[in-house]
Amino acid sequence: MPLLLVGVSHRTAPVELRERLDFQARGLEQALHRLSERNLTQEAVVLSTCNRAEIYAVHEGDPDTARQHIVDFISRFHEVDRALLAPHVYSAGDLEVARHLFRVSAGLDSLVVGEPQILGQVKDAHTTATSAHTSGPVLNRLFHASFAAGKRVRTETALGSGAVSISFAAVALSRKIFGELKGRSVLVIGAGEMGKLTALHMKSQGVQQVTIVSRTLSHAARTAEAIGGASAAPWEELDTVLGAADIVITATGAASPILTKAHIETVMRPRRHRPLFIIDIALPRDVEAAAGELEQVFLYNIDDLQATVRENLARRTGEVQHAETIVGEEVERFGAWLRSRGAIPTVVALRQHFENVRRSELNRLAANLPPDTRQRVDDISRLLIEKLLLSPTEQLKTAADAETVALFSDALTRLFGLSASSSDDTGTTTVDRDNVRRRVEPFVRRNTKG
Amino acid sequence: MNVIPLALYAGALVAYIWHFTKRQPTIGRTATTLLMLAALAHTFLIGMETMQAGHIPVTNASSAISTFVWLLVLSYLYTEMTTEERAMGAFILPLVVALQTIPALHPGVEDRADVLQGPLFGIHVSSLLFAYASFALACVIGITYVLLFTEIKAKHLGFFYARLPSLQVLDTMNQRAIAVGWLFLTIGLIVGVVWALQAPGYDPRVQAMSLEDPKIFVAFVCWGVYSFEAFAARRIGWGGRRAAYLSAVGFAIVLLNFVPISYFLTRSHNF
Repeated sequence: MPLLLVGVSHRTAPVELRERLDFQARGLEQALHRLSERNLTQEAVVLSTCNRAEIYAVHEGDPDTARQHIVDFISRFHEVDRALLAPHVYSAGDLEVARHLFRVSAGLDSLVVGEPQILGQVKDAHTTATSAHTSGPVLNRLFHASFAAGKRVRTETALGSGAVSISFAAVALSRKIFGELKGRSVLVIGAGEMGKLTALHMKSQGVQQVTIVSRTLSHAARTAEAIGGASAAPWEELDTVLGAADIVITATGAASPILTKAHIETVMRPRRHRPLFIIDIALPRDVEAAAGELEQVFLYNIDDLQATVRENLARRTGEVQHAETIVGEEVERFGAWLRSRGAIPTVVALRQHFENVRRSELNRLAANLPPDTRQRVDDISRLLIEKLLLSPTEQLKTAADAETVALFSDALTRLFGLSASSSDDTGTTTVDRDNVRRRVEPFVRRNTKG
Repeated sequence: MNVIPLALYAGALVAYIWHFTKRQPTIGRTATTLLMLAALAHTFLIGMETMQAGHIPVTNASSAISTFVWLLVLSYLYTEMTTEERAMGAFILPLVVALQTIPALHPGVEDRADVLQGPLFGIHVSSLLFAYASFALACVIGITYVLLFTEIKAKHLGFFYARLPSLQVLDTMNQRAIAVGWLFLTIGLIVGVVWALQAPGYDPRVQAMSLEDPKIFVAFVCWGVYSFEAFAARRIGWGGRRAAYLSAVGFAIVLLNFVPISYFLTRSHNF
């Protein structure tokens, strides 16, 4: 039962197309049901975020046909012309599907490498498919393995470390200076958009008190209202609020610095030199650069923040190789499991064959035994079969590659004359396959635990 | 006997530094486990010496250092458990290993003179050792504070930025360590003076007990420095980096008093 991935992402499709392919908007569960209704797939999971729309499927038969069917499905479901869609679609089969999904979970395929949200989105996609009953044993295994891969990359590499946007860099720095931001107070000088956004971000990170000061009090009041829970103060009280603030964000349109070194020095004394973090995001700058020389004053302008963002991005890039190695290891592990599944039809046929022999012999020989003796013979013969089959099944499950599995299967099929029953996939009906799966799953699970 | 804890401390040192650079949780857990084993071995050793001598082994410089190291490690482990912060271990353990080398190479003989009997003497020594252990922690925290401070100030957010807790946390930990240290230093000094007043005067060491003795003099200098740091420094704006430097200076004086002066200079405390 081959694995298949069909999708588009920020790497292959422009945002205009990705917007139209948003499964969340059109109903994820509906898409899942349609995928399984039409017998396109045996198992399906749809991963749909703003950067990607991907269908993970287990299908039967020819991969190319299945791929065409799924592309058709996407085109019909979203009412997007197939000719428009097709050039942007990528697809992968079997272990390449696993590698792709593991890289996605690890954040390696994200727009911003190492971003943390994607792992949660992959989990949500799997949960939705599970509750819609479209995910089965293979995709369950695949997705759980991808969670493990994502988690390993996050804990064992620095792929997700360091802030990669200006406002996150500002918050991260504030945390490194003040620890918890709860109870800290932020002063925003200037009523413009930039200052407001940074203040909003600080507020979402736990800062409780935000004060806005602007040359025009009414502008400050309006911005304070827009932020919500912030207060405005008149320009004349700048020194007072400066004395009380821990973090100062300056974002005015002033042509010359509004805070000089001497000015800040006079403010620092009554503060008893408590640390003051000044983030100057104005251009031209609002704070004299020399103010950063004052003890306990940390002055960062927009270029400094940008530089830390660049450093963090560079550091993440340096971790990519390590993360790829981890992904490779996890793909290897999943591949071993997938191969062990290749042996399942043979294992089932072999067990069925032994069971048939046992039953017919039991019926023939034990027909006229007393009931309790018959029961004992039944037990013993069952135990005997279990023990005899233990080693061959183990050997099949742990075979190193697909060729060995095929070789072993072939040998067993010939030696025991199994071909008639079920090692040939095309000969079995759907009902048979379901039975096979049900009977074999527990054995596979037991195997993976041990 | 002091060699066994020393070896384990050295192993823990390697693990803590490795963890500090690599930041892998498994290495961190290994480091803590090694340090706990070391502390356990050390506890066992000190317990045996206590049983043998009938008191805590503090009456000669080597065993006092060993006991000091033991207290320092226990205080550090307590800090690590309560703050879940392992970064400091990479800074504490070099000191631990360096100091533990002294009793390991130069074991002292624990024989207690009659003059050193009594509960007051025990309180005196153990309070001071505990104070010194706190100051050692404060010093190491201060050093890490300065390292982080320098990185943030220079706008180069690198190695320490990624590994140390915030400046605020370091500053608070430093203040706490200084406060606890100051309290025990004060108790130790007062008890020491009371003990000297009631001690039998025939012993030459007791006769040498005055402020002119280097060990006693430097101990009072220490008390002055730490009193300033604990009560005055922050009021005149000597918080943050200056307080951190002060902790380092204070502990340098403590070490000076503890090792060279104890071995070579003092006449009142030459056990």
